[in-house]
Amino acid sequence: MKRICMIGVGYVGLVTGACLADLGNKVVCVNRDEKKAANLRKGILPIYEPGLEEIVHRNKEAGRLFFTTSYDEGVKDAEFVFISVGTPSGLEGEADLQHVHDAAVEIAKRLDHPLIIVNKSTVPIGTGDWVADIVRENMPDPSIPFWVVSNPEFLREGSGVYDFMNPDRIVLGSLSREAAERVAELYYPLQAETIITDLRTAEMIKYASNCFLATKISFINEIAAICESLGADVKEVARGMGTDKRIGPHFLGAGIGWGGSCFPKDVKALIHMATTHGTRPQLLRAVMEINYDQRKRIINHLRDILGSYRGKVVGLLGLAFKPNTDDMRDAPSITLARLLVAEGAQVKAYDPVAMETARRAMQDVSVTYCNDPYEVAKDADALILVTEWNEFKQLDMQRIKSLMRQPVLMDGRNIYDPPRMRELGFIYRGVGRGHNGGLIRNR
Amino acid sequence: MKKICVIGAGYVGLTTGTCFADLGNLVTIVDIDERKVENLRQGVLPIYEPGLEEIVRRNAQSGRLRFTTSYAEGVRDAEFVFIAVGTPSGAEGEADLRYVRQAAEAIAEVMDHPIVIVNKSTVPIGTGDWVADIVNKHKKNDVPFAVVSNPEFLREGSAVYDFMNPDRVVLGSLNREAAEQVAQLYLSLRAPIVITDLRTAEMIKYASNAFLANRISFINEIASICEALGADVKEVAAGMGYDKRIGPSFLDAGIGFGGSCFPKDVKALAHMAAIHGCHPQLLRAVLEINRDQRRRLVQKLRDILGSLDEQVIGVLGLAFKPNTDDMREAPAVEIIHLLQNEGAIIRAYDPVAMRNAKAMLDGVTFCENAYEAAQGADALVICTEWNEFKHLDLKWIKEAMRRPIIVDGRNIYDPETMRQLGFLYRGVGRGYGV
Repeated sequence: MKRICMIGVGYVGLVTGACLADLGNKVVCVNRDEKKAANLRKGILPIYEPGLEEIVHRNKEAGRLFFTTSYDEGVKDAEFVFISVGTPSGLEGEADLQHVHDAAVEIAKRLDHPLIIVNKSTVPIGTGDWVADIVRENMPDPSIPFWVVSNPEFLREGSGVYDFMNPDRIVLGSLSREAAERVAELYYPLQAETIITDLRTAEMIKYASNCFLATKISFINEIAAICESLGADVKEVARGMGTDKRIGPHFLGAGIGWGGSCFPKDVKALIHMATTHGTRPQLLRAVMEINYDQRKRIINHLRDILGSYRGKVVGLLGLAFKPNTDDMRDAPSITLARLLVAEGAQVKAYDPVAMETARRAMQDVSVTYCNDPYEVAKDADALILVTEWNEFKQLDMQRIKSLMRQPVLMDGRNIYDPPRMRELGFIYRGVGRGHNGGLIRNR
Repeated sequence: MKKICVIGAGYVGLTTGTCFADLGNLVTIVDIDERKVENLRQGVLPIYEPGLEEIVRRNAQSGRLRFTTSYAEGVRDAEFVFIAVGTPSGAEGEADLRYVRQAAEAIAEVMDHPIVIVNKSTVPIGTGDWVADIVNKHKKNDVPFAVVSNPEFLREGSAVYDFMNPDRVVLGSLNREAAEQVAQLYLSLRAPIVITDLRTAEMIKYASNAFLANRISFINEIASICEALGADVKEVAAGMGYDKRIGPSFLDAGIGFGGSCFPKDVKALAHMAAIHGCHPQLLRAVLEINRDQRRRLVQKLRDILGSLDEQVIGVLGLAFKPNTDDMREAPAVEIIHLLQNEGAIIRAYDPVAMRNAKAMLDGVTFCENAYEAAQGADALVICTEWNEFKHLDLKWIKEAMRRPIIVDGRNIYDPETMRQLGFLYRGVGRGYGV
């Protein structure tokens, strides 16, 4: 049993803290928001994440997981302090490090015993060194040793707990190998590959990994555009590519692109870092531009079909940036709703869980929120499938069609079978499905 | 046992034909080059490929593999005719289809029974339809035929292994029955078989190669950022590679990809996209980054040496990758030209590609071994990661050199060890050198 302090109870801090407690450690989670802390003490979570509530409850009951607003209480006996505060995008795409700075100062003020400071937040390359400088400047007794270790998180919203418990790898970066190895011991029960490297390289691994996954999606979206022009089916192309072991099947779904709180932020931040250090990240820029163009391409395709948006009713199926989350941060649906309304369309929408967050994220856009997909389809001139929720995959499409004013279906996630939709009488457009997508079978 | 005709005895045709024969089929390989065919009959191969010579001999002796210059002889009894001719890059990056056209016309002229025409060559999207048109136009007898696209995924240096152990077999046709007949030929390899339409199959080949090229340019862009920010790209790649969604292959930062496939296929796909109204910005970035990697190495040398004029540069490795003598689009060629432009004197060594290199490079002193290339050099450049360079006697190398400078274009050395040995060492993207 180790004594751990977790600064920040956002998504990453809460999952990491609760899971480290579940591995048998004593974890004190610190955050400044009294109401959040009080709620957590009552078992009310600020975010939705499958399985997390139960783990929080179990470890709270067992006396291994605590919530407080007091740094004193958190840092007091801790051997490890994890920083997992938010690092939002600044105006120029740079990561805003204010919260990291504040956490480092608060930790430093209370540093009265040797401590390993572990950075979980996604921070620019060089931040580990910077945190060490801040701590050094603010600690009352400079003779007390401390170490900074970078330990980037690779949790996916919707499967954060599973990802913590079953990591592909643990990345640890530090100038002190011994400190990195002590952090490695915390993860030992997970039996994952562990990479110990220097601070800056660990920080870069996080950015490079996320940027690579974003690149895969923009790559297949560029191929999708070419498929549309040349009459190939990108879904089958992706399948044919994905069976190549050197490529793999993941992140090759063509569509309206990525959103959320990680990819856009991390790609922007790496572009920013690269540019401010004299390199020209043209591939990353292409990745970014392709992603945001995907949203506009679908608006263009639909305008070609409808003639004009003026007075037309367009329904959005799905609002969250991906299925199984209520997260609306940088969701493509926001861009689509804005552009449609700007061109004079009336927008209706439905999402299984993100309606509340969507209302807040789109306060400035006039959207009619509906109770189910059929209500969205009622009198619509077109439907756009925005988020690939499972419940949209088996809709009663005949009923949908009969409710619509015009049977136009734009499938932004390629979840429907084109020939089947055409048989049903839809004017159907997927992304990158130049051919009819028929003929195909995988044995 | 099926009767198969393969048009073209180049790298792909020879490997494919021979391997089909080895699976028990009766294969006739047609090539219009008489000397090539004569040599092949005597067991002399036009290319080097590990293990191929033995399989050619075995199957030629057992009568399952024959070579001819006559289309009539090849197509006569064949149920399947594979087109495996070259498709070089044209002036604008487009694929030059002249040999495919000649093959299609020649097949049409002699075709007198139903056949399945299988396209193995890497051809632009839509070529399958075009081949069908040509055959229809030129056929002398009114017999049915089908066109199937069956792109090859062979790697030079392990082509026989790749044929026998494919990740997948891709078949595209408008005629599903024909595609399934071709699938029968591959059944014994027990690989997943993807059957799709013609254009999609053609695209799978381009998209796969373009993606692998994209992986390399991606890590090279990250390498440049690592240099600027003080991280080590080799460890970054290792950390990324453990992610199952990313995987470890094709994440080696260096002076970029070359050879006869990646540059040609990425250029061709970018060309197709552009002439059909798309703006392939990612593919263009991939190509440009790859080109720039070679220039960056020259710049590194210039930064260290001040000027390259009359500096002696030893180049280790010339082939575009190890274990081949293939010099097509090899980064070493471009790097040597750039160095020579700035007045450098080049000494070069490659374990097997020297003969091909001599034909492409003027004014280079070709050496017997790595130590001779290092003799009197102001700097050494690693262009190809041959195994034999990984364990050189670096002390000896250092003594042979005028100045102990190594610019490692393939990151084969450990930066720390090199510094301890007294070298001024530069890799690609190794800001720290842990």
